[in-house]
Amino acid sequence: MPAELTLSVNGAQHTVAVAPDTPLLYVLRNELKLTGPRLGCGIAQCGACAVLVDGKEVRACVAPVSSAVGKRVTTIEGLPGVWAAEKGLGAGQTLHPVQQAWIDEQVPQCGYCQSGMMIAAVQLLARNPNPTVADIKDAFTNTPPSPHLCRCGTYSAIIDAVQRAAKAMAV
Amino acid sequence: MNETPEITTRLTRRGFVTIGGALFVSLSLPSGASAQPAGSQTSLDPSLLASWLEIHSDNSIVMRTGRTETGTGMSAFYAQMVAEELTVRPETVTLILGDTDKTPDGGYSAGFLYGAANVRKVAAYTYQALLKLASTQLGVPASGLSVDDGVFSGGGKSISYGQLVQGQHLDLKIPVTGTPAKVDPSQDSGIAGLEGYVVTGDPPLKPISQYKVIGTSFPVPGIPDKITGRMKWSCDVTLPGMLHARMVRPATLGSTLISVGAVDKKRFPTAEVVRKGNLVAVVSPNEWEAASAARSVAAGTKWTAWSGLPGSEGLTKAFRDHNWGPPTGSRGNAADVNAALASAPKKLSVTYEQPYVRHAPLAPFVAVADVRSDGTVTVWTHSAHSQGLRAQIANTLSVPVEKVVVRWLEQAGQYGRTTLGGDGAEGDAAILSKLTGKPVRVQWTLQEDLAWSTVSPGWVSDMKAGLDANGRLVAVHSAAYSPHQSDARLLGAILAGMPCSTSKPAADVATEWPYDKIQNRLEQAYGMQNVAAESAAGGLRGNIMRTPGQRQQNFALEALINEAAVAADADPIQFRLNHTTEQRLIDVLNATAQAAGWEPRVSPHPGARKNGSTPVTGRGVSIIARSNAYWVGIAEVSVVPDTGAVQVTKFTIGLECGKIINPRQLDRCMRAGLVMGLSEALKEEVTFDREKVTSTDWSRYKILTMAETPEIKVVAMSRDDKGFGTGGEAANAVGPPAVAAAFFDATGVHARRIPLTPAYVKTLLSS
Repeated sequence: MPAELTLSVNGAQHTVAVAPDTPLLYVLRNELKLTGPRLGCGIAQCGACAVLVDGKEVRACVAPVSSAVGKRVTTIEGLPGVWAAEKGLGAGQTLHPVQQAWIDEQVPQCGYCQSGMMIAAVQLLARNPNPTVADIKDAFTNTPPSPHLCRCGTYSAIIDAVQRAAKAMAV
Repeated sequence: MNETPEITTRLTRRGFVTIGGALFVSLSLPSGASAQPAGSQTSLDPSLLASWLEIHSDNSIVMRTGRTETGTGMSAFYAQMVAEELTVRPETVTLILGDTDKTPDGGYSAGFLYGAANVRKVAAYTYQALLKLASTQLGVPASGLSVDDGVFSGGGKSISYGQLVQGQHLDLKIPVTGTPAKVDPSQDSGIAGLEGYVVTGDPPLKPISQYKVIGTSFPVPGIPDKITGRMKWSCDVTLPGMLHARMVRPATLGSTLISVGAVDKKRFPTAEVVRKGNLVAVVSPNEWEAASAARSVAAGTKWTAWSGLPGSEGLTKAFRDHNWGPPTGSRGNAADVNAALASAPKKLSVTYEQPYVRHAPLAPFVAVADVRSDGTVTVWTHSAHSQGLRAQIANTLSVPVEKVVVRWLEQAGQYGRTTLGGDGAEGDAAILSKLTGKPVRVQWTLQEDLAWSTVSPGWVSDMKAGLDANGRLVAVHSAAYSPHQSDARLLGAILAGMPCSTSKPAADVATEWPYDKIQNRLEQAYGMQNVAAESAAGGLRGNIMRTPGQRQQNFALEALINEAAVAADADPIQFRLNHTTEQRLIDVLNATAQAAGWEPRVSPHPGARKNGSTPVTGRGVSIIARSNAYWVGIAEVSVVPDTGAVQVTKFTIGLECGKIINPRQLDRCMRAGLVMGLSEALKEEVTFDREKVTSTDWSRYKILTMAETPEIKVVAMSRDDKGFGTGGEAANAVGPPAVAAAFFDATGVHARRIPLTPAYVKTLLSS
C-alpha cells in the first residue's frame, strides 16, 4: 500500500506516495523524473543505477525507497550542487570535476553505464584523492556489491577521467 | 539512376515548397511535415534536398538521416563530414537521426562507411548549388570565389549561405536509388530494402588533402547531456495514460501456455494480465506494481514441458551430427587446393570452435508503443534500423506501413543486435498497446534479455594448411560451420502467433584475404537453421554480432597462421610478412610490432610450461583486414597453469584505416572495442541445458571487468590517399586470436577453443 514518504534528493525535499518496498530507482525516475540513474540488471550486479546515499554508493535498483528516508540522496543531476557546496560556489555555475573530466576525456560510448561510473568515481575520490591506476581498477571492480560493468569497454577512458578529475579537485 | 544531375540553382518563393523539390529553409520542419498528425506520414521523400538538409538564416545547418548513433561517435563523424563538404564549423551542424517521419533515407546504422556516404554527397551537391548561386548573386565567376565558414568571398564582396537562401527555397533534386524497407520472404533476413535509399552520382568532393574538419577531434555532440542527466533515452519515454508492462516468458524455448496465474488484486490492485497466444504480460500504470505482479503471476503460470536443446556442453557434437549439405558460401578452387595439400611436405589439420556468445548490452530491451483506434501506430525505440523495424511492426499489426511512425532515441549499445530491424521489446509493446488500447512501455529484465534476445551463434571451423620445404604456406582450406546468423523476427510476434517476418539460414565466407602470397585457398561456409528451430519460440534465434562472421572466420584463419608459423620454425610476424605483398598491412604490422617492443623469435617461449602454481608469460599476434582497413593485435599474457587463470597484461593494437576522421574518438573506439574482444577471448559463453538458456545474469554470463583490462597501447596510422576505412568495429576481432597465440607461447599448448576460462585451461593443460 502506498505510504507518504519524504526524501531529500539533490538538496531538495520531496514527498511521494509510493509502496515502501518500491526500489529507490523507480521513485527517482518515475516520481521525481530524475533519469540520470538507469535500470541495468535490476539485481545489483552492474552499477548503472548507482546513486549516493549519505555520500556512499547504493544500488538504487534494489534499495527500497524506505531505506533512503532521512538520508541525503545524490544523483548525477545533483553532482554540480555537491561540488558547489564543497567549494562555496554559487549553484549552477559549474559541473562537478568528475563530470567535466568525463566530458573532457570523452568517456562515454553508448554512455548507459556512465552515470553509475561517475557516482563510483565521486565516492572513490572522496576517500582517496589521488588514486593510482591499480587503486581505480580495484575500486571499480572489487567494491561490493559488484563490479561496475561497461559493455562498450570504456574502462581505460574511465581511468583517464578519474585521474584527470583527481588533479582538478586537488587545485 | 547513377548519373550526376545538373545542379540547378533556381530560387523560388516559399509557395513552391509543397509542390516542388525544394531545399533550403528557414523553418524547423521539412516541407509538408508540420501540418500532419504523427502516424499519418510516410518517410520524407529522399529525392528532395529539403528532406535532408536545411540552411537557416544564421548559417546553422540541420542534416537528417535515418541512420543513428550506435555509441561509437557517428553523430560527430556525420557532422564533421557535412561540415567539411560545406566548409562550415561542425558545431553549426545539428543532426536529426533515426525518426522515420523526419528522415529520408533509412538504412543500417552499422558504421561510418554505410552511414556517411549519403550525407557527404548531399552536402557536396548543396555546396555546388550554393556556389553557383553565390556566383550569380555577387556577379563573380565561381572560380573567383573562396569560402570560409559558410561565407563566400570574391571580387571584394561576400555573402553567407544564410543570406543566399534567406526567405527563399533552392530547388535541388537529390538522385537516389533504393526501395523502402519491407517484409519480404525472398530475402535471407526477411526484410527487403535494409540498405535504405542511397544517394547516387558523383558530385565534386573536397580532396582529403584539403580537409580541415575531418581529422580533428571534434567532440561527440551528445556527451554533455549524457554526463549531466539531460539526455532523454528511449527508457525515459513516458506518455499520458501509459501502462508499464513486464513480460511473463515461457518456461522453456518450446513451451506453450496451459494457464495463466492469477493476479492477487489485494496486493496488486491496478495490475492486469494481458495475453495473446504464448505472449503473456502483466500491465499496470505503476511500474513497480507491474514488475512485482508479473513475478507473482509467473509463479502461478503453467507451461507445457519441452526439452529439445542439445545442451551447451553438447553443442559441438550437435554440429558434428548435423547433415550440413553443400556450402552456402564458397571462394577459391577446390581442385588446386586439394592437389597442393596432397603434395605439401608438411601439413596441418586442426579444428577451432567457439560457443554461442551474445551482444549482452548493459541495459535490457525497452520500448514504448502507442497503437491508436484510428489505426496509427507510434513506436519509440533504440533500434539501429528504424525503417526495418517500422516494416516489421506494420506487418505484425497488419496495418499499412504509412500508418507507422518509429521514433529513435539513444539507449545502451546493441553491437549489431538490432541492425536488421528485428529483436527487441517493440513487438511486445505494439501488440500489448493494440490489445489494451493504451500506450504501453515494455521493459525486459536482464534475465529475460540474456535468455530470450537473439544470440550470436557458436561455430566450428575445420582448417587445413600445407607448407613447402621452405616453410611457406602453399594452400589453405577452411570450412566454417554455423547456425542461422540473421534472424530478424520479433519475439513478441512469434509468441503471440501474429504475422511475423521470416528468414532463411545462410552462411557466407566473410574473410577479407590478406595473404596474397598463399597461392591456393578454398574457403567454405556452411549454414543451418537455428538450433531447436522447430520449438514454439523458434529456438536459439541467431543474430550475429559485431564484426559479423569475419570475426569468427578470421579467428580460425589467424589461429591457423600462428600454428603454421610454429610448424615453419618462424617468428609469427615475419611469417605473416612472408605471405603478403599488401604494403598497408606490412606498414601497420611493422609499426605495431615496434610499439610493442617485439623481438623476433619462434613460439613457444623458451620458459613455457603447462604446470606449476607460478605464472608463465607469452606473447602473440593477429591481424584482420576489413573494409579498407588493416588491424594488428599483439597480446601479452600471464598464465597460472595450476589455476587456469589467464590475464592479458598488455595489448598493443594497431590500425591503418585510410584517413582518420576523429583521432581521439578513434583511440577511444579502438581501446573499448578491444575490451569486448578480450572479454570474448577469456570469458563469454552462453550456456543452456536441454530446455532453456541458463547464463541469465552477470554472474553466469561473465564479461570483462576493469581490473581485467590490460595496459593498452594504440598505434593509429592515418593516410590521405586511400579514402576511409572502418575505424572502430573490428577492434574486437584482433583480440581473441592474439590471446590464443600468446597462451601457446606461454604454455606450449594450442588453445583451439575460446573462451579461455580457468576450467577450460586447466582441462587443456592437464590433458
